[in-house]
Amino acid sequence: MRLLLVEDNRELADWLSKTLRQASYVVDVVHDGEDVEHALAAGDHALIILDLALPRMGGMEVLKRLRARGNPVPVIVLTANASLDGRVKGLNEGADDYLAKPFQIEELEARIRVQLRRVNDRTAPVISCGDLLFDTNTRLFSLAGATLPLTPREHAVLEQLVVKAGRTVSKAALSTAIYDFETDADPSAIEIYVHRLRKKLEGSRVQIATLRGLGYLLRQDDPAP
Amino acid sequence: MRIGNLGIGSLRLQLLAWVVLPLAGLAAINLWTSQRNALATADLVTDRMLVGSARAIAEQVAMADGALDATVPPAAIEMFDTGDRDSVYYRVETAGGRLLTGYPDLPAAPERGSIEAAYRDHPLRLATLSHAVIGAGTDSPIKVTVGVTLAGHDAMAKRLWLSAFAQQLALVAIAGVFVLLGLRRGLAPLIRLRDAVRSRSRSDLDPVEVPGAQSEIRPLIEALNAYMERVRAQMAAQRRFIANAAHQLRTPLALLSTQASYALRETAAAQRQEALVALQASSGKLARLAEQLLTLSRAEPGSRRPRADRIDLTEAARHVLETQAPAAIERDIDLGLEENGPVPVIGDGTMLREMIVNLVDNALRYSKPGGSVTVKLAAADGEAELTVSDAGPGIPAEEREHVFERFYRLAGSAEEGSGLGLAIVREVVENAGGSVTLGEPATGGLKVEVRLPLAAADDGTA
Repeated sequence: MRLLLVEDNRELADWLSKTLRQASYVVDVVHDGEDVEHALAAGDHALIILDLALPRMGGMEVLKRLRARGNPVPVIVLTANASLDGRVKGLNEGADDYLAKPFQIEELEARIRVQLRRVNDRTAPVISCGDLLFDTNTRLFSLAGATLPLTPREHAVLEQLVVKAGRTVSKAALSTAIYDFETDADPSAIEIYVHRLRKKLEGSRVQIATLRGLGYLLRQDDPAP
Repeated sequence: MRIGNLGIGSLRLQLLAWVVLPLAGLAAINLWTSQRNALATADLVTDRMLVGSARAIAEQVAMADGALDATVPPAAIEMFDTGDRDSVYYRVETAGGRLLTGYPDLPAAPERGSIEAAYRDHPLRLATLSHAVIGAGTDSPIKVTVGVTLAGHDAMAKRLWLSAFAQQLALVAIAGVFVLLGLRRGLAPLIRLRDAVRSRSRSDLDPVEVPGAQSEIRPLIEALNAYMERVRAQMAAQRRFIANAAHQLRTPLALLSTQASYALRETAAAQRQEALVALQASSGKLARLAEQLLTLSRAEPGSRRPRADRIDLTEAARHVLETQAPAAIERDIDLGLEENGPVPVIGDGTMLREMIVNLVDNALRYSKPGGSVTVKLAAADGEAELTVSDAGPGIPAEEREHVFERFYRLAGSAEEGSGLGLAIVREVVENAGGSVTLGEPATGGLKVEVRLPLAAADDGTA
């Protein structure tokens, strides 16, 4: 899952993104409200974590413009102003959730999961496809009951596929989802990650199907007749 | 007379005393004179009666058969019967002193006027009358002495005096009552003011309205309202500051918490170490922020007893630079002091030193490694001049006024300052009667100029 963190305090942005990457999220950081639009256009982020006190364009203004353009991406607002008024105003302007600084990272992560589940129309925290399970809380994959060891990139690819289970995911979409702005995107590497994933999924009842010219699809093997 | 000490400092008692005590004094003098008047009146009446009685007796003395015959008419005695059981004594004697009738041992009284004398253990008032008797020869004129005890006289004096006493007493009492009524009426707005101030809840600092307040009390109410307005403004500023401070503490706290969480989850030793080092640095910055908040609250007018230390800015700057030198060396910044002798100023020494710390700290913070920071001191035209220049990014001209505002941070600034340093500097400098301006040195960067009034010529004790 690729997240966009908008926070002007560079240190906090730096450490917050590091901590979220620990939890296998792909995180982009911008420090300025005016950069949000470009970042979103390029990154197709699944969620925005938005600080309100931003230089040049305030977080509230960013949110307003986002919703005015009809962008439904979930937004969790971070703010140092924990007053009820501020909270209500934020939610009215189209924020999906509100978190006051200082917060515990666990709480932020829980709220991120809630928003991602909601956007994917799921209420159960565990996504399954055949004998492959993805626990959105621990963010771990398991296959036939055993934890599946994955590198961060493999994790990102498989997560994208499992979240869209049953639907085709284009190579470009996969590429956007797994590379943050600081990494040179290499679409051909996707094939390598898919190849490795197929190896790790060998012998299970799920497989990654290639649809030429379209992309990839995670599907459940039909039980052998 | 120290009426001010009367009672428990009650205005009512004081005013009552000021009115009633002099009035009572006047009444006492009045009573004293009226007692003397009463006595004089009683004396006069008694004397007239004595003379009248003596004349009545004398007129009955006549020659009968060649001898003087003195018969005392009852009326001459009865005229003294006023119901006070007075005894009347008399004596009638010839010019030669031969007793015709009466009491031989009755004391003599001078002709004209009367005397008081003791007779048979009673005080008497006596009068004597000479009366010529036709045909009495050398025995004429006869002398008639009449004396009366003083019960009737005293009763009359007392009656006269008592009525005067009652009048005076009534006068003083009525005056007292009117004073009290007047005071109650006059002090009513003051009482209302007291009630209005006392009944307010502590946070309510709205102006007090006291309808019907006299022109003497109105300035008091206005002063009170002005005072409350000042308190209210100060409280509002304090509240804003606290809200702002709380706001400013939240982001660094979130950073600390994030760094701690990261370190807890990280399994790679090197990354963990890096997070812990960063955590330590963050908590140091947070401590510095808390310190600055404290300094700023101390620099606020009214929060600290104004002090007028005589301090040498050069000495203070030298001390600050020595403290900051290790940090500068570590970051490869050339930190220098340019001075030519002591620059004495008057002000709060602790705050002035804190001001220099903030200036130097700021300059170091925004300087790149390899840059330089120069602190320059000069005294000219009665002004002390402290200049701190750095070769950092500087501050755009249009932002220069804003950076003195608390918590103001330049947009796009990557350096994590608290936004309080320059606010502290301005607060301290203005408290000491000086000014601070921002400029740009010829080489680029930022130049902060602080001007303070120079202390008077060295008196040898600096």
